[in-house]
Amino acid sequence: MADALVYGSLFALMSIGLTLTYMTTRVPNFAQGSFVTVGAYLAFSMYHFRGVPPYGSLPFSFLLVGGVATAMYKLILKPLSARGSSLISLMIATLAIDIGFVGIFGIYSDLLSNVYRVYDSKFFLLSNTDFTILGTSALIFIAPLSLALITVFLWLGLTQTKFGIAMRATVENPNLAGILGINVERVYTVSWFLAGGLAGLAGSLVVLWLPGSAHIGSDFIVDIFAASILGGLFSVYGAVVGGLLVGSGEILLTVYGARLLGSWVSEWQPAMPMLIMVASLIIVPRGITSVNWRRLVFFKREK
Amino acid sequence: MSIPAVTLFGINVVLFTLDLVAFLALYLAISLSLNLEFGFTGIPNFGKVLFIAGGASVGGSFAGRFAAWAFGIATQGDFIKSNLIIVPQIDAILAQSIPLSIGLLLVSVSVAGAVGALFGLLFSYPAIRLKEDYLAMTLLAMAQLFQIFLNNYYPLIGGSLGLVLPDPYVWAGDSRFVVATGVLVIFAALVYVYCEKLARSPMGRTLRAIRDNEVASEALGKNDVGIRRKTLMTASAISGVAGLLYSFYTVDVLPATFGRVVWTFWPWVMVIMGGAANNLGVAIGVFVFWFMIKTLDSFKFSLSSVIPFDVTWLEYLLVGTILVCILTLRPEGILSEKPTPTLSRAKLQSILTKATRKDVEHQN
Repeated sequence: MADALVYGSLFALMSIGLTLTYMTTRVPNFAQGSFVTVGAYLAFSMYHFRGVPPYGSLPFSFLLVGGVATAMYKLILKPLSARGSSLISLMIATLAIDIGFVGIFGIYSDLLSNVYRVYDSKFFLLSNTDFTILGTSALIFIAPLSLALITVFLWLGLTQTKFGIAMRATVENPNLAGILGINVERVYTVSWFLAGGLAGLAGSLVVLWLPGSAHIGSDFIVDIFAASILGGLFSVYGAVVGGLLVGSGEILLTVYGARLLGSWVSEWQPAMPMLIMVASLIIVPRGITSVNWRRLVFFKREK
Repeated sequence: MSIPAVTLFGINVVLFTLDLVAFLALYLAISLSLNLEFGFTGIPNFGKVLFIAGGASVGGSFAGRFAAWAFGIATQGDFIKSNLIIVPQIDAILAQSIPLSIGLLLVSVSVAGAVGALFGLLFSYPAIRLKEDYLAMTLLAMAQLFQIFLNNYYPLIGGSLGLVLPDPYVWAGDSRFVVATGVLVIFAALVYVYCEKLARSPMGRTLRAIRDNEVASEALGKNDVGIRRKTLMTASAISGVAGLLYSFYTVDVLPATFGRVVWTFWPWVMVIMGGAANNLGVAIGVFVFWFMIKTLDSFKFSLSSVIPFDVTWLEYLLVGTILVCILTLRPEGILSEKPTPTLSRAKLQSILTKATRKDVEHQN
């Protein structure tokens, strides 16, 4: 059950970013998983060379990965879309960046192990650096708590500040927002920074729970898509809910499936998010935030 | 006929060339099928590896079981477990008879093609009606799902351990690689002719219409979803056959060989590098890309003593960078898309001259 909570919170943190950049710049970012890898390796390096526990590296992670994401947008995606590249070209560009990141972190981990003799750099787990609250590891409390805090901040930012309203206006209609004097470009940049930063936070936290490696992010990307699609791809809150559902669903389906059908189900744990994604595409292709829940609940009464 | 052992710098030149030609043909077929999807129709197939692995695993598993059944070899209950005992018995029979070998090859290839087409239908089902980005994400996810399936589902190819296949080229003895390469080359040539014919046909223009303006093509009465689905199925059938032929070439199926980078990303780079929606361009792209990879490969051993990391990572980084550079600097690729004349140039010319002559006669 602890697994379900941690997975859910971390997936939510990762998929908020994907949804945010999709809403604003309309590109599904296949390199979103790699932002997680950057966060994970930053936490690992800071722990190894400075003795900073992963929680201490969170602010650095937010800033660094946010910067990486912004750079990726400014240097690659923006020039591409300015040339009028098709959506498919933009998607394959993000996939190329993702594979480039896998290469970079493969080189980095090899360098650490071959030159600096850090032998666990290719496959590391920092769960022993986590402190305990009430006899369990603190991440069980910290991951959902940080997700809740970030969601509240996002909600406040999007509804109560001028910039948040400008952001929503840009999502609704970029041309009209531009005419009204909103700096659309800045909105895009900020959304990429936030997307990277939140994925970086998730990356620094995830190594407390799961072993990190050069392709940890590439392995997560499908789960992130599943969460964002379930959430509807057009709502940040949908991404939060989608992440929680996919993460906890993966664990709960596996655990209860194994109990009901036999232990063979547990081998299929990584396949669960994809099954959830397929189900959501068939039943609610626009995600759970597109469903008119009130109408669904009160349907009988109205009749 | 046996392969002459010509060696140069300690490499068997003949075997090296054969291997080169085989992989060029394999990637040519795969890239052309991707060009059919992405270049002509605008389907973002980010799960190419799924269809290749599907054809290879199902076709390969079928080939062994079918041969064992047809030749009356006792499987002792579990085909997978006794795989290493059964396959040499099958090979002994195949070595004696060329027609039987060709028969087995043809039957398994048709199964692999059918499986590819079926997978194309099945795995795109949740998203084929939605926008192209949903389809891209779904196909990528499905490829991952199938990878998990291959690694965990024992009865198909024995999970992550893989399976040894019967060798339909075993009758050729020492020169089996010549025959295997020849089959791949013939297949690639057939795919090329098919793609070129299709591009010049009314269907090719329909595909481009769907790619360029979905609303307009629908308004003109084209069933966009149906045509996209059929294109994906056709291309996936080609990928499935390519996957099985590759497995027959290596005589085994291992889930670990079917990775996202090598079988999905590389064909994408080849197509974009060569020029989407231009079959000749794609062929050039395959050659150029493979030349680059092989050059890097040949430096692998000398590099590995100099640089303190695995050269494969460098390859990832380089290929990723190259693709981004192509997309920003020359997105149309080496050869850009050209209007394809429906008739050959000579024919058009003769029609034109005839028409002008008639015009002149009328005026007189």
